[in-house]
Amino acid sequence: MSETTKALNKCKRVAAVLIAGMLLVSLLAGCGSQSGQTPATEKVLNFSWAKDIGSLNPHMYNPNQMFAQALVYESLVQYSDAGKIVPWLAESWTISPDGKEYIFKLRQDVKFSDGSAFNAAAVKKNFDAVLANGKRHDWLAFIRQIQETQVIDDHTFKLVLKDAYYPVLQELALIRPLRFLAPAAFPDNGNTGKGIKQPVGTGPWVLSEYKQGEVAVFVRNEHYWGPKPKVDKLVIKIIPDSESRVVAFEKQELNLLYGNGSISLDAFKQLQAAGQYETKLSEPLATRVLAINSNKGATKELKVRQALQHAVNKDAFVKGVLFGTEHKADTLLATNFPYCNLGLTPYEYSEDKARALLDEAGWKVVPGRDFREKDGQTLELEFCYESTNAIQKSVGEVLQGDLKKVGIKVKLTGEEQGSIDQRQKDGNFNIIYGDTWGAPYDPHSLVGSMREPAHADYQAQLGLPMKAELDKLASAVLVSTDETKRQELYRQIFTTLHEQAVYLPLSYLANLAVYPKNLSGVAFMGSQYEIPFGTIDIQ
Amino acid sequence: MFAYVVKRLLSLIPVLVGISMITFLILRLTPGDPAEAYLRLSQIPPTEAAVAAVREELGLDRPLIVQYGDWLVKALTLDFGKSYATHRPVWDEMMFLLPATVQLAGVSLVFTLVLSIPMGIFSALYKDGWFDNFCRFIAFTSAAMPNFWLGFMLMYFFALKLDLLPTLGRGSWAHFILPALTLSFSYIATYVRLLRTSMLENLEQPFVLYARARGLQESLVIGRHVLKNALLPLVTALGMSIGHLLSGSVIVESVFSWPGIGRFCVSAILNRDYPVVQCFVLMMAVVFVIANLFVDIAYAWLDPRIRLKGESS
Repeated sequence: MSETTKALNKCKRVAAVLIAGMLLVSLLAGCGSQSGQTPATEKVLNFSWAKDIGSLNPHMYNPNQMFAQALVYESLVQYSDAGKIVPWLAESWTISPDGKEYIFKLRQDVKFSDGSAFNAAAVKKNFDAVLANGKRHDWLAFIRQIQETQVIDDHTFKLVLKDAYYPVLQELALIRPLRFLAPAAFPDNGNTGKGIKQPVGTGPWVLSEYKQGEVAVFVRNEHYWGPKPKVDKLVIKIIPDSESRVVAFEKQELNLLYGNGSISLDAFKQLQAAGQYETKLSEPLATRVLAINSNKGATKELKVRQALQHAVNKDAFVKGVLFGTEHKADTLLATNFPYCNLGLTPYEYSEDKARALLDEAGWKVVPGRDFREKDGQTLELEFCYESTNAIQKSVGEVLQGDLKKVGIKVKLTGEEQGSIDQRQKDGNFNIIYGDTWGAPYDPHSLVGSMREPAHADYQAQLGLPMKAELDKLASAVLVSTDETKRQELYRQIFTTLHEQAVYLPLSYLANLAVYPKNLSGVAFMGSQYEIPFGTIDIQ
Repeated sequence: MFAYVVKRLLSLIPVLVGISMITFLILRLTPGDPAEAYLRLSQIPPTEAAVAAVREELGLDRPLIVQYGDWLVKALTLDFGKSYATHRPVWDEMMFLLPATVQLAGVSLVFTLVLSIPMGIFSALYKDGWFDNFCRFIAFTSAAMPNFWLGFMLMYFFALKLDLLPTLGRGSWAHFILPALTLSFSYIATYVRLLRTSMLENLEQPFVLYARARGLQESLVIGRHVLKNALLPLVTALGMSIGHLLSGSVIVESVFSWPGIGRFCVSAILNRDYPVVQCFVLMMAVVFVIANLFVDIAYAWLDPRIRLKGESS
């Protein structure tokens, strides 16, 4: 036994050394983590994003992240509050009476970050590169409409369209694909669709360091024509998990949380309650909406669709699920969107009205049964949602609870995104979750996409008796050159959709911002995809 | 032994061909279109024209057999095509991300072994003592504790509250501690229980009694006779764990913003990024087969019965 005891004592000593070693490692690591701080005089804004920023090709899409493209590249015009289009790289423009010719006068004081001049030739070179890869950008109606690009003089650029298309300026304001790369940064073969030499734009920031999937550092563009950014450096850390982002923020490794979905809504509420940070919410930027299929099962009936509008308690949803961080939505698009302040009468929350409508539709309460029936069939609706999305799942649960109160059974079908996409295309749903395109795409992108069979919007509207007429109105509004007529066409479209109850708007999405009190100048832009880092200062 | 290793490596060929075919088919039978997924990632409405353009660009409009043949021929030269999502060559992406995951898995493995072996030995030697009960508690806790939760707790206390360690990302060796500990925690608990049971079984064996009767030092009895035999099941588990550590680190990589292969591949699965998924599955098949080969070799080294049987045959 004494040998055993000796052996055990030896093992104990080994274990003690191991544990002490581990503790030492932790302590040394703690010391190590303090190193590498930036000089106190340098103002560094630390921000995070869930995905790598990509190669910053202004003419291409994923993996390029829009907010990062907007740091380096600028557009001819900018989308401002309430959808107003304001001059940017173009200081003015004229539109021919037939709506087919646009002449842009370019600013003369603009340079790319490599010091080269921004002029009409550079604009044409960029337009032509995008058009050469036209198939890729075919989704944008404006690209399909471009017939010709011309350099009138060094600072005048002309765009000729095949047909009139009113949202030209709105689509020019988009972050991609029509922002401007310096001619020297074009690849030798000119095909930007395959890549660029380096990201050189006219924007306020220049990429200075990049570690794929980890970090990107931007510094001020010293050639910038507008007010230069107030901070010296902008560091974008790639943090995929929203809760980790909150911990990094609380540890002061980040000094700005911004965007929609960047952190969970309960984390936002918690940070707000902590009292040591500033918190802000933007104006409505898009809508959380349920599309109700007018071409499938019980939702073919108008009265059933209308009953759904009355049966869902949106106030409770906003308060309980969204922690009061969004506003209840009464209409498909918020009234701050262009052409959308129509004075439509909201469907009020009323279980009694919902029940009365279902009775009128012939869906009767059967004694002893939980759900209504008609001709021996139970009133059951299928709600399809993306299973990994917590908010969509909660929407399903709210829907199931609210509709049960009026005798409607809801079958929740949670699937991954690919399967949900397929259902949208096939119209294989009664109710499906979606977000509208938001600013600056809406209302024209939403209305345009209603004509596309691959869209849930199209499928949901397919059972409407006036679907063909709606499609005609949608086509007419996009080519309309008369502002009054355009407003009238939008009125007809949105009023019809509202009356036909094919959409159940839940709440208006907004960007949120959380930052420490030593940060100033945090604001929101008209477009939900741009972040105004330039105005932010650190005290 | 050499012939055995060569034979095992050659058996990889039909395994990889089989796996590539199955993966190829399963991916295409799963609902969801990579062209639409790409458009969604790019925030482009999936109009019929847009989907057709992307399908053509990605080569998805060709017959399946042509797509597979083309992929297989290129894969032989380690050309796995370009990722649909990032447009970068898949092999380059993998080679860029793999080192980070291998490093993390390696450190986790070291943590696992360094902690679980002494704990397992002590648990067995002090059976039903306080230390054994403590290890049992750790084992049950780890079984009930999801990885992401543990990761957040460690991050919260050690990085945020105590400010001892960095929160996220990669850089110094200090960045390894929290993610590696999170990743290794469930393995530590399993290995401790496994080693404890195996040690107890071996302590009951006649050869232990005989060794003691020969008057050998207890440390020799435990270290050379009991532990060496007790390690066999641990080695088997280790072989499987290496593959799991490499392929299953996605949650830890997400929580700690570790730029590794797990995160990349899970998003590839969700986005129907076929070339990435196919390459990843093949790589993992190679890892599992090779890890098991090492297990077999280690077995032969640890257990003379297997070695001698192999030599006599």
